[in-house]
Amino acid sequence: MTSKLKLLTTGSFVAAVLFAAAPAFAAGTTAGTSITNNVTVDYSVGAVAQTQRTASNVFVVDRVINLTVAEVGTVTTSVVPGQTGAATTFTLTNNSNDVLDFALTAAQLAGGVAAHGGTDVFDVTGMSIFRDTNGNGVYNAGTDTALTFADELAADASVTLFVVGNVPLAATNGQVAGVRLTATVREGGVAATQGAAITATVGANTAAEDTVFADAAGVSDAARNGAHADDDDFTVATATLTVTKTSRVISDPHNGTTNPKMIPGAVIEYCIAVANSGGADATSVLINDPVPGQLTYTASSILLNGTVTGSTCNADGTAGGTFVDPLVSGTITTVAAGDSRTLVFRATVE
Amino acid sequence: MRKAMFSLFAATAMAAPAFAAPVALSNDVFVERVSTDADGKRKVTLEAPQVVVPGDRLLFVLNYRNAGNKPADKFVVTNPLPAAVQYAEQGDSDGLLSVDGGQRWGKLGELRVRDANGAERPARNDDVTHIRWAFNQPIPAGATGKLMFRAVVK
Repeated sequence: MTSKLKLLTTGSFVAAVLFAAAPAFAAGTTAGTSITNNVTVDYSVGAVAQTQRTASNVFVVDRVINLTVAEVGTVTTSVVPGQTGAATTFTLTNNSNDVLDFALTAAQLAGGVAAHGGTDVFDVTGMSIFRDTNGNGVYNAGTDTALTFADELAADASVTLFVVGNVPLAATNGQVAGVRLTATVREGGVAATQGAAITATVGANTAAEDTVFADAAGVSDAARNGAHADDDDFTVATATLTVTKTSRVISDPHNGTTNPKMIPGAVIEYCIAVANSGGADATSVLINDPVPGQLTYTASSILLNGTVTGSTCNADGTAGGTFVDPLVSGTITTVAAGDSRTLVFRATVE
Repeated sequence: MRKAMFSLFAATAMAAPAFAAPVALSNDVFVERVSTDADGKRKVTLEAPQVVVPGDRLLFVLNYRNAGNKPADKFVVTNPLPAAVQYAEQGDSDGLLSVDGGQRWGKLGELRVRDANGAERPARNDDVTHIRWAFNQPIPAGATGKLMFRAVVK
């Protein structure tokens, strides 16, 4: 065999041929397939056709194991404090030429840079992994099923997985929680049961089916180890509200509206401004303000959803709100992230 | 070197009933591995087909020998391709190809296939079903030869 190999290697046929790009066969021929090559010779001797000669050669296609775990999308998953069932999406693809199970683990990052550049500072709670049972690409609580391994994933098949957790109420705007999904190959063959661990065939090759790991390095695992991992993260985007209250004298009984003074009978305008410095809109913002006992509320003077320019209350908005002595109340439908909205009312000094 | 191979081959042929079958044939397959050394030189090595995975390039080697004492003529070597491999090329071995299970033969550029909706197109490597070498000269007694082609594991 050795002499034949050398001869072939040094022969002009081998040397002259350039390798064309190998065609891509995705997962390719199923592991364990026997490839049998049969060759025949027909010939004649002395014009008499002779019995056909045949020769055959058999070898077995080995098992190449390759898998990919990849985060879906390129942006972080926005969550709010106290959110339950916050989900981030991954795909697991079996690039092997065999049906396999995949053990799945989800882990929290412990500090460090998360998938989208933020620094991991908090953990989600109650973390688990779900399969996109209804195939819509979106986590549906109660429909998608929890799992600890991907069962009987065919060659070239992929499955969408969600890492789902709850966001602590104490999380604040801009905080990041990084999560990592790792898949490790297991033997397939028995449905609904996680198969045994797989090891690459080491040492001498065998003529029977061998196992070769061909997976790339993941975020936390080496190449060709039969496992692959990827990171994703949750970022808290919440409303952070600050309230300021300002007042000005509109008129008094003697000066009218020209340089009015704070004297009995004067009309005072209060402006309550709600500023949202967070990363998410605040909705249904309810403002309550008790009118001091020395003032008399001016009926139907409430203006809601007014604007602020710089730090100046524009005293605009639309009429609304209620007054139930002594409480002025009004609800602002939405205070957008980065915006300020006001409630304005008037009262008279007794 | 050639002598070494010859004797090896003769030993193989001996296993068959040599007198009843004056033409001996062997069929070997190797996996071609390409590596690049530190100087950037490509090196091709041939291995026995023990670790074979999809995408591997295979070199099929057919050795024949006229072990009889008379010339063998109308000598035709036919190799249907296994279903799990795709024909790649045959260097200068000058075989004819078939893309229809061995009905018509020709060079790849001369063959055409019909696709699913009836349109004709030039045949491609992945259409090849058979390769055949038909010799127009008799093989003298004692003569040997070697035919090779490459294929890729699907």
